[in-house]
Amino acid sequence: MIEEKFKSVIIWIGCVLLVVFCLTPFLYMILISLSSSPDFLTKLGQIEFSFKNYYSVLSSKSLHFIDYLRNSLIISAASAFFCVIIAGLGAYSITRLALPGKMLILFFVLAVSMFPQISLVGYLFKFMSSIGWINTYFALIFPYVAWILPLSLWILVSYFAQIPRDLDKAALIDGCTGWQILRKVIFPVAAPGIFSVSLLSFIFAFNEFMFALMLTIDYHSRTIPVGIALFQGLHGEIPWGNIMAGSAIAVIPVVLLTIIFQRYIIQGLTRGSIKG
Amino acid sequence: MEYHTFSELRESYAFILPLMIFILIFVLLPVLGTFINSFFRDISFMQRKFILFENYKQLFNDSDFYGAIRFTILFILVSVPLEIILGLIFALILNEAVPFRGFLRACVLLPWAIPSAISGRLWELIFNYNYGLANFLCIKLGISTGPINWLGSSLGAFLGIVIADVWKTTPFVTIILLAGLSSIPIELYSQAKVDGSNFLQRFHKVTMPLLKPVLIVALLFRTIDALRIFDLVYVLTHGGPGGATTSLSLYSYRYFLAGDFGYGSAISVVLFVIAFILSVVYIKLGRFAELGT
Repeated sequence: MIEEKFKSVIIWIGCVLLVVFCLTPFLYMILISLSSSPDFLTKLGQIEFSFKNYYSVLSSKSLHFIDYLRNSLIISAASAFFCVIIAGLGAYSITRLALPGKMLILFFVLAVSMFPQISLVGYLFKFMSSIGWINTYFALIFPYVAWILPLSLWILVSYFAQIPRDLDKAALIDGCTGWQILRKVIFPVAAPGIFSVSLLSFIFAFNEFMFALMLTIDYHSRTIPVGIALFQGLHGEIPWGNIMAGSAIAVIPVVLLTIIFQRYIIQGLTRGSIKG
Repeated sequence: MEYHTFSELRESYAFILPLMIFILIFVLLPVLGTFINSFFRDISFMQRKFILFENYKQLFNDSDFYGAIRFTILFILVSVPLEIILGLIFALILNEAVPFRGFLRACVLLPWAIPSAISGRLWELIFNYNYGLANFLCIKLGISTGPINWLGSSLGAFLGIVIADVWKTTPFVTIILLAGLSSIPIELYSQAKVDGSNFLQRFHKVTMPLLKPVLIVALLFRTIDALRIFDLVYVLTHGGPGGATTSLSLYSYRYFLAGDFGYGSAISVVLFVIAFILSVVYIKLGRFAELGT
């Protein structure tokens, strides 16, 4: 009995520490973005609340904040879309069709996902320059899709493998082609998996930094992580209020997706890595 | 042995083809190109020239290269164990019947979900010498008497990178370990309770042995990921002060940025080879873990 009490106290303390550890930096970000100067801690915690940081980030044309955010959303959504389709086709081939060397392909793809990005980016820069894609959406969407495909494939294979074979056998007897079975049977039944993969692909593409840093030049295609990383003040002093306001707005999409769909994200992450 | 017709085979290839083409063009070809480039003197606006191992010989005598290796290894040795330990503690907590479980899980995911470039910026402000949160807390809690020069000193910058990375990556470890924990049958714990073992004994006798395969997977996965650290060092310390926190990826990137693709490629080939060896180990062990359970 004493042990039980002791344990529940420990767990309560642990929960509080966990929340403090995870959320304090976020709260600090929001406080700074809402205060008129970033040094309120030294002024004995007197905060002057104002929305001027948000206003200046959103209204200043020369910051291109809205452009960066739009680029990020378009590039991430397109990457997630292509990733799901292509990984879906591949996972169908691996779990349902007569593909030789299935395990070999799975482990090859897993090895590919461990490649350091830096060992691609130098060549990608030259390649994208030679076909004139530098500073376009394509320069990011294509490498992102290829980069996120391995994880997507692993997750979808684990979902597809659980679907009873009788379902597609029945469809096959009804005269459906492979593509029809995938579209009308597998995709709907594996909807939670498809959704997990879409979410994770979107988040990975949204967060990617190195390719975006190397393969974009300006607001025509630059994404929000690069925009915020390169955000410097004009007169030496770093405009922390503006940066934190920009960061707070920029993380809204991924934070909302994470809070609302945490179950799908956790499922996807565990299926993608534990089975490996 | 199953027998497959030609048309069945053709269909299976057709479905895997788009995936293979994407990986071939945008991953394998670039890696191959980087390998080939590492044998060339390849600097912007200069004649490209085949020099075989010259870049590697230069690497061999490059003290900054050794500095980058030293930082990368130190970073792995310090940050990965911290992430695994903290992740294990969080996972043990979340595996209990705690209230607000969904809220807690969402909290844990948030640091992982936001771009590391943005969290890098956030930590840059937290470690600000004059008005950052870190120095405010350190002085208020009596950890230090005066402000700590976090990003301006080698040790401070190193610790800053580690703290920011632990904050960002512990969630991932937590999620992986939580999945491992929840797959341990409850009966094993009740049986151990009946046998009169206490919490620590149960952790030692039931949890740890069954969690070991998942722990190894998390450990290797984190090691490979930490090996290629780039975003955080680029944003938080720019590799400084004086190159003290320059990782292998960042060191290579600097040469690409300066237009020296040959030497930059040679650095990234070294990183690639290390990562590749580790991932072969990872895949072998992962397979082993799957067979074992």
